[in-house]
Amino acid sequence: MGILRRVFRRKNKKQIPRTDGFLYRDLLKNITNIKADFEQNDDLIVNSFKWSDNQDTICASLYIKTLVNTETINSLSEEISILKMKENKSRQALPLDVLRAHFSGVRTLKEGDRYIDLYADLLSGNTVFLLHGSSQYLSIPTESTEGRSVEEPSSQTVIRGPKEGFTENINQNIMLVRKRIKSNALSLESLSLGNLTRTDVGLMYIKNIAKDSMVREIQGRIKRIETDSILEGAYIEEWIKDDRYSIFPTFLSSEKPDSVAAALLEGKVAIFTDGTPYVLTAPALMVEFFHSSEDYYHHYIIATMMRILRFFAFFLTLLIPSFYIAIATFHQEILPTPLLISIAAQREGVPFPTFLEALIMENTFEILREAGIRMPRAIGPAISIVGALVLGQAAVDAGIISNVIVIIVSITAISSFAIPNYEMSNAVRTTRFAFMVLAGVTGLYGVFIGIIILTLHLCKLKSIGVPYLTPIAPWIKDGNVDTFFRFPFWAMKNRPFGLHGDDKRRIGGEYPVRKNKKGNQEFR
Amino acid sequence: MKAKAIIPVLLMMLFCTGCWSSREINTLAITICLGIDKTDEGYLITKQVLNPTALAMQKGSDEDPVVLFVQKGENLFSALRKIATESSRKMYNSHVRVVVLGENLAREGIKDILDFFMREHEFRTDFYYVIAKGTTANEVLGILTPLESVPGVKLYLSLENSERYWGITSAINSIFLVQSILADGINPVLPGIEIISKAGYSEMENSNDAKRLQYTGMGVFQEDKLIGWLSEDEAKGYHYIIGDVGNYVEQVYYNGKDQIVCEVRDSQSKMIASCKDDKPSVCVKIKTSLNIAAVEGVLDITKQENRKILKELLEKRIKLLCEKVQKKAQQELHSDIFGFGEAIHRREPKLWKKLKDSWDTEYVKLPVHYDITVEIKQAGQISKPMFLKEGED
Repeated sequence: MGILRRVFRRKNKKQIPRTDGFLYRDLLKNITNIKADFEQNDDLIVNSFKWSDNQDTICASLYIKTLVNTETINSLSEEISILKMKENKSRQALPLDVLRAHFSGVRTLKEGDRYIDLYADLLSGNTVFLLHGSSQYLSIPTESTEGRSVEEPSSQTVIRGPKEGFTENINQNIMLVRKRIKSNALSLESLSLGNLTRTDVGLMYIKNIAKDSMVREIQGRIKRIETDSILEGAYIEEWIKDDRYSIFPTFLSSEKPDSVAAALLEGKVAIFTDGTPYVLTAPALMVEFFHSSEDYYHHYIIATMMRILRFFAFFLTLLIPSFYIAIATFHQEILPTPLLISIAAQREGVPFPTFLEALIMENTFEILREAGIRMPRAIGPAISIVGALVLGQAAVDAGIISNVIVIIVSITAISSFAIPNYEMSNAVRTTRFAFMVLAGVTGLYGVFIGIIILTLHLCKLKSIGVPYLTPIAPWIKDGNVDTFFRFPFWAMKNRPFGLHGDDKRRIGGEYPVRKNKKGNQEFR
Repeated sequence: MKAKAIIPVLLMMLFCTGCWSSREINTLAITICLGIDKTDEGYLITKQVLNPTALAMQKGSDEDPVVLFVQKGENLFSALRKIATESSRKMYNSHVRVVVLGENLAREGIKDILDFFMREHEFRTDFYYVIAKGTTANEVLGILTPLESVPGVKLYLSLENSERYWGITSAINSIFLVQSILADGINPVLPGIEIISKAGYSEMENSNDAKRLQYTGMGVFQEDKLIGWLSEDEAKGYHYIIGDVGNYVEQVYYNGKDQIVCEVRDSQSKMIASCKDDKPSVCVKIKTSLNIAAVEGVLDITKQENRKILKELLEKRIKLLCEKVQKKAQQELHSDIFGFGEAIHRREPKLWKKLKDSWDTEYVKLPVHYDITVEIKQAGQISKPMFLKEGED
């Protein structure tokens, strides 16, 4: 790892702009320097104009054509020409002051005197004004906000509940969450990461609900990231993960503003990354990867049932193939006789050992799944037909594969999709192969060794210092109202998981339906 | 550092266990049923092994669903192992459902073979023992069965069924059998199976298939030797006495012509031993509840007095069954299959110490009393007999 980091650092140094200093008073010199730094950028536009007809004051406006919104630029130039007309009459103030006075009222205005800041502004789509005789610059946001509009999330579809999804625009994403939590306690800290990409990263939390020390820890870790590029939240996740070798995700990525808002209200910290519709929340606990935002929008009994079903599916997808391999090759005696008879009848004539057979079929499924994701939409159905008919039916008919293994693979596949979080589902699917190997080598004995190792690993894992299996291990007394069960809202008195800061209570009053002497109020 | 030290230890542990040889299912010859006969040289083993190829076919195949392997040997183990010389697959014994013992073998004693079944790790202890009545185990295993394509499974299931619904057999596994051989004051029984051929069957099938297997009565053992057979009625009585009764059918005649058929719902028994002047006696308390299944005739069972009569008739009937089997066991077979000795042992341990050695002679003259209560629970979906006219009685 150290070597990698060193390589990165060396590369970064090369990329740092030549003019690392302050602006000069000489406009021409400044412009030449900037042009030299942006040597191969044909979309850098430099317009110089005279401020007033009589004076020699030369101004320059700079922007990058491809980053700005043409309409904003047009309106800006109109405003400036009006200002110029006014100036022609009064001829008193310095042009920079005039601009400052005019724009600070209506636009976010930035000033600076360093090249590096100027470049950052220029590259985030601002228009920069330079004035001869001044080492200051003014920048006015003119960036183009074009991008996808808010759409339904593609990876986390729900039946009930909001269907808005995040987009690639960080500001829009922050807006979507802010819209849901209208409180001044909702705090946002902006950072920019990546020496080259300068990606905007937003750190959001609710004061008092999020533990202060936890926020500081995340902040510190993110600030210590030294890399040239952050293109997706996953980059950040990989940089600041507690256990960098673990396959299990310790950051919950979500495409839905309502889940992020819910996480914030539980005392988590949300990490927004510009350019991706996925927002990370941390710390993330194992149980949360089996929760869906929909759990809170359905009746709590149904939601609980669904959750238990998902945990069941987790064990199925993790263990079914390895259990089958172990039982069919090592422990035939634990099968009921009729089941053994039918398995024996099906396996008759199959040329492969059970382990190999399972491995072939599981891999075939993985290939199908992978191909199905990358395929152009139009070819997708063809893949599933080939998969289902050719590989499933024909292989069984030809006697190369037994029927049982097709059933096992199907159960595994379906169960793996019942895990709501894609990263968790990936982790489980990968772990499954390790279990299959253990089962193939030592039978159930190996499977249980594997289960012990997995449990130890999960106990050891931490997400931003919080044990991964919280609130089960360590057991948190009031934390289990929202793990396997989803208690009704009036019973979730405190914030779950015990991750909260000072603000512990979630509900204030009593159940609002009042009973009189006869029972509930009746109207008829 | 610590974690790194633990990894090799864990890896070493992986290879420190026994019993993890893997065997593919299609390399195993799954034995479902085992027959043992006594011959002059030793044992004759008949193994009924699954033929997965025949079972795999969705539609009928001309292959038989099971294959028989027959081998002789001086002892069970060598006979079983010798089968390897004629089988391409490894014999796999964990799924044996039924062990059929030839009558000859049972009469000579089964202690030695039980030792093998308890000792050998591959056999489970949940299979049942059956005696081939009047024939050899080899013949019994050679018969194919309807409905169940695997005869061994048929033997297993119909044994459980006939215990539950007809009451003439008991399903007895290794542990129970060994326990009742070892225990003082109780002797084992084992169900018997017969080959029958009925005229009615041969109409639809070829003559070979007309042979069927049927459970008939139970073999009574003295220690580990078969000494006689209980008939169907006697077997029923036996079950009433030991209180292990399923859904039996019981019928009585009223006035010699009206037949009333009942279904036993539940029957419990208690053996109470008592001692007077060092003379033991046993009182068997039986509590039975029945439903009325059919009334053939005109007895109006809705009337209380008729019910009373019916109750008395049923009590008499059960008592008759019990006394019959008790007499046969005491006077003819001299075998305490009911566990009266055990009942005395439990109630009067001091007396038992004296009786223990001479129990075989004491047992024959043991007085047994019955206290039978019958309860008629339901009369079924209709109350009176349908064809009973009003006013008639």
